[in-house]
Amino acid sequence: MGKVVFSSWAGKTVDNRGLGVKQHAYAEDLGLPSGYDHTKVAAFMGWDGFVVWDEKVNVVDMAHAYIKEVQKVCCGECMVGYIGITVLADTLARILDGKGREKDISLLQWLASGIKENAGCTFGQTAPIPIIDSIKYYRDEYLKLIKNKKAVPKSNYKVMVTAPCMEACPAHLDIPGYIQLIRNQRYRESLSLIRNGVCLPGVIGRVCTAPCEEACRRTQYDGRVCIRLLKRYVADWEMNSGLTPSSAKPRKSKEKVAIIGAGPAGLACSYNLALKGYQVTIFEELSVAGGMAAVGIPQYRLPRKILERDIELIEKAGVEIRLNTKIGRDLEMEGLWKDGYKAIFIAIGAHKGRKMGAEGEDNDYEGFVDGMKFLRDVNLGRVIEPKNRVLVVGGGDVAVDCARSCLRLGFRDVNIVYRRSRVEMPARKAEIEEAEKEGVKISYLVTPTKILARDGKVIGAECVKMALGEPDSSGRRRPIPIKGSEFVMKAAMIIPAIGQQPDLSFLPDRNQIKLAKQMTIETDTTTCQTSGEGIFAGGDCVTGPAVLIDALASGNRAAQSIDQYIRKGKVTQGEDSKLEIAVKGINLSEQREQEIVPREMPQITSQLPLKKRFGNFREVENGFNAEAALEEAKRCLRCYRVMVWLPAK
Amino acid sequence: MVELTIDNQRVRVKKGTTILEAADKFNITIPTLCHHENLTPLGSCRLCTVEVIVNGISKLTTACTFPVEQGIEVRTTSQKALEARRLAAELLLAKCPTSAKIKSLAQEIGVAKPRIKVREEDCILCELCVRTCREIVGRQALKFINRGLNQRVEPRIDFSPDMCIGCGSCAYVCPTGAIKMEDKDGTRVVYARNWEKEFKLKKCKVCGNYWAPEEQLEYIRGKLNLPPDFFDVCPNCR
Ligand SMILES: Cc1cc2nc3c(=O)[nH]c(=O)nc-3n(C[C@H](O)[C@H](O)[C@H](O)COP(=O)(O)OP(=O)(O)OC[C@H]3O[C@@H](n4cnc5c(N)ncnc54)[C@H](O)[C@@H]3O)c2cc1C
Ligand code: SF4
Ligand code: FES
Repeated sequence: MGKVVFSSWAGKTVDNRGLGVKQHAYAEDLGLPSGYDHTKVAAFMGWDGFVVWDEKVNVVDMAHAYIKEVQKVCCGECMVGYIGITVLADTLARILDGKGREKDISLLQWLASGIKENAGCTFGQTAPIPIIDSIKYYRDEYLKLIKNKKAVPKSNYKVMVTAPCMEACPAHLDIPGYIQLIRNQRYRESLSLIRNGVCLPGVIGRVCTAPCEEACRRTQYDGRVCIRLLKRYVADWEMNSGLTPSSAKPRKSKEKVAIIGAGPAGLACSYNLALKGYQVTIFEELSVAGGMAAVGIPQYRLPRKILERDIELIEKAGVEIRLNTKIGRDLEMEGLWKDGYKAIFIAIGAHKGRKMGAEGEDNDYEGFVDGMKFLRDVNLGRVIEPKNRVLVVGGGDVAVDCARSCLRLGFRDVNIVYRRSRVEMPARKAEIEEAEKEGVKISYLVTPTKILARDGKVIGAECVKMALGEPDSSGRRRPIPIKGSEFVMKAAMIIPAIGQQPDLSFLPDRNQIKLAKQMTIETDTTTCQTSGEGIFAGGDCVTGPAVLIDALASGNRAAQSIDQYIRKGKVTQGEDSKLEIAVKGINLSEQREQEIVPREMPQITSQLPLKKRFGNFREVENGFNAEAALEEAKRCLRCYRVMVWLPAK
Repeated sequence: MVELTIDNQRVRVKKGTTILEAADKFNITIPTLCHHENLTPLGSCRLCTVEVIVNGISKLTTACTFPVEQGIEVRTTSQKALEARRLAAELLLAKCPTSAKIKSLAQEIGVAKPRIKVREEDCILCELCVRTCREIVGRQALKFINRGLNQRVEPRIDFSPDMCIGCGSCAYVCPTGAIKMEDKDGTRVVYARNWEKEFKLKKCKVCGNYWAPEEQLEYIRGKLNLPPDFFDVCPNCR
């Protein structure tokens, strides 16, 4: 049913008040996600307008509820926004209290338009828009309240505040917030805001895939805000100033939680639980903590000392990490319950290399090394003798990392072979470009079909050329071998890096914990609960190989659920995730009026010169200096979006 | 060089010049409050609002923050710009009705009495003090505390006594008199409504006059690597 009383959203109006002929409008027609209808929402107001489904809703009350929330976010850095919004809120409150005067309506109109025209940031310029609309379309309602001179009851509106970048970030960091703190040179507070959602700021500041930057609204003017590098700046600032964060002393609780795997997901979960006062122990198979951040990502992208420092601070918060302890080998998962752990979080990542399906790949030839093992050896400093020619098989970030590591180890002729073309290559563009600059050669549309060896040593691979067919389930065009195109590529080493999956062999009883088709653990995505009582899971072992920020976000969510589980015996979907669902689908980038943004290109950082990159694993990318960070922080437009709504009765 | 139009004059100025600087060069005055030529622009008071036309679209912006762009048209006295300035002046006057500086600026802009009422305050968060302390003095005794999604505070200027050397630059630059400074009987007090710090003044060994806060002299001595007894004598007696 498309029953709507009134809508003014994104500059489009639908008005069915008191009309004989009703225009039916579905949420989609109004520019809202399909979840929005009269069965769920009575009324909604946000930065680009408002919608009324239930005619009994008092629009003035909604405008007041909305502007109160706007006021809480309004920073105070420009006086038109700061004083103006205060007066808007006071005036609306007065009208609701039955003390309004007729001239208040023109006052509201004058102020709201003035703020819209001349506030200092995007938030200030968009926030008054629904107030202007409400006066335009519901003036009678204002007049009625003013004439009646009686206080009317206020309804309890639900609130959501976000921004395009915040929504794109899986951990929903308060990005405009921490950027503004950098602009005001309050680095410590900025970092503590970051740590609310990301317990590895130094790591994430370097290697995050930064989906926030893709969503940044400034891209439509002169270029995205360098959100990741700003985060790195404050993390590095803290480290270089020799400061330790002042973490509030966590209250002590007797309850114990076990976490399997000290990767980003496990660390995030442990950190949040420790701050809530739980006794948290992480069991880690390897001799180092950090998961793929320690044994996957090479040091030229993520220096070890950065990771170590982030982890050290997590341990300081009260987390115990037991290294060299594999669950399923050194300890059994079942035993954890007997040891008094009240909940278990499985965060074992995806470390088992997938098979290529090439003949001879299981023959244990010398010189045939799985990409994961190769990077682990590199990262743990094991000696790897450089060969002349190496083939890295695959097109993802892992393949590129293997290839660039080979060059640094002294391999002379480094080749990537990928079965599709450049367009389909999933590795990050910048990474591919750097790799090529450094001398990595990439052969597209090639697949090895047989590993060639002499005396048990790899000497090359038989390959076949591929052509692209119809798109497959991933949406990329399917590679098809071209008959008769077989040829041989010589190589002394072959490194397959074509994807990983979790090694779930340690799970005690497969029936207890449901698995998904891809041999990953099945969970409720918002609560991280598995089908096993008291058992939660997150990170790569649930999603398959993903990225750090996804793993961190799932660790954060799991901590919330585990806390609920231990305190209340059950997990209810958090208020936060409910709100999250409510805004899903709203286009946060849209706004009726575009701002004028003077052209200021993003700050750039320097890179380690090409000739210094060989024979070592020195970090390639440099961070911002103080001036660059300040200049970059000034570029944020502050696109906070405030929304309030009244659930349907 | 960039070519643009200001109030129907075609002008050429250096790239990176702000509208305010460009206007000033051609003797067009625009009212300002939070601007100071030696400080990074902030755009807080919004009294310098002008209308700009970029690609045929008219918008308002603050002249002190906006760097000129090729081909834009700036109107410093259009109806739209003047109205926006009046609104800004009215809000400032409502916040700080006693300040002589704001009263005269408002009058100049055409506002005698504000229609609205808000909680009165003598600090209008223009951050001239914050920027002076940081950019001119080289200290960070004053910082702006902004409100935000995760900072549910009242916006204000925060004072860190440890960082303050008592030079009084903030008091000089404050347009509303919210920050004050007094020297009396060998001490100096720098203060605002909710903070203060007292300083011992240095006595000149020759004339016996108290002439500057010891902490400030120590700071300068450190910066310039001067001998320990350098400031024992005041400049007049040296
Ligand atoms: C080469 C490479 C480069 C990457 N580059 C990037 C990048 O630039 N940016 C980005 O965002 N992401 C990147 N990723 C992805 C990112 O590293 C992962 O998504 C992330 O680490 C997943 O975190 P996790 O905690 O789920 O698992 P993991 O990081 O894999 O951690 C799991 C941990 O569990 C341990 N474990 C496993 N089984 C057991 C057991 N039975 N008992 C005890 N412990 C166990 C493992 O030893 C490991 O330490 C990269 C991945 C790889 C492999
Ligand atoms: S300009 Fe700032 S608030 Fe807007 S999307 Fe970009 S980072 Fe987020
Ligand atoms: S002088 Fe330009 S905003 Fe204050």
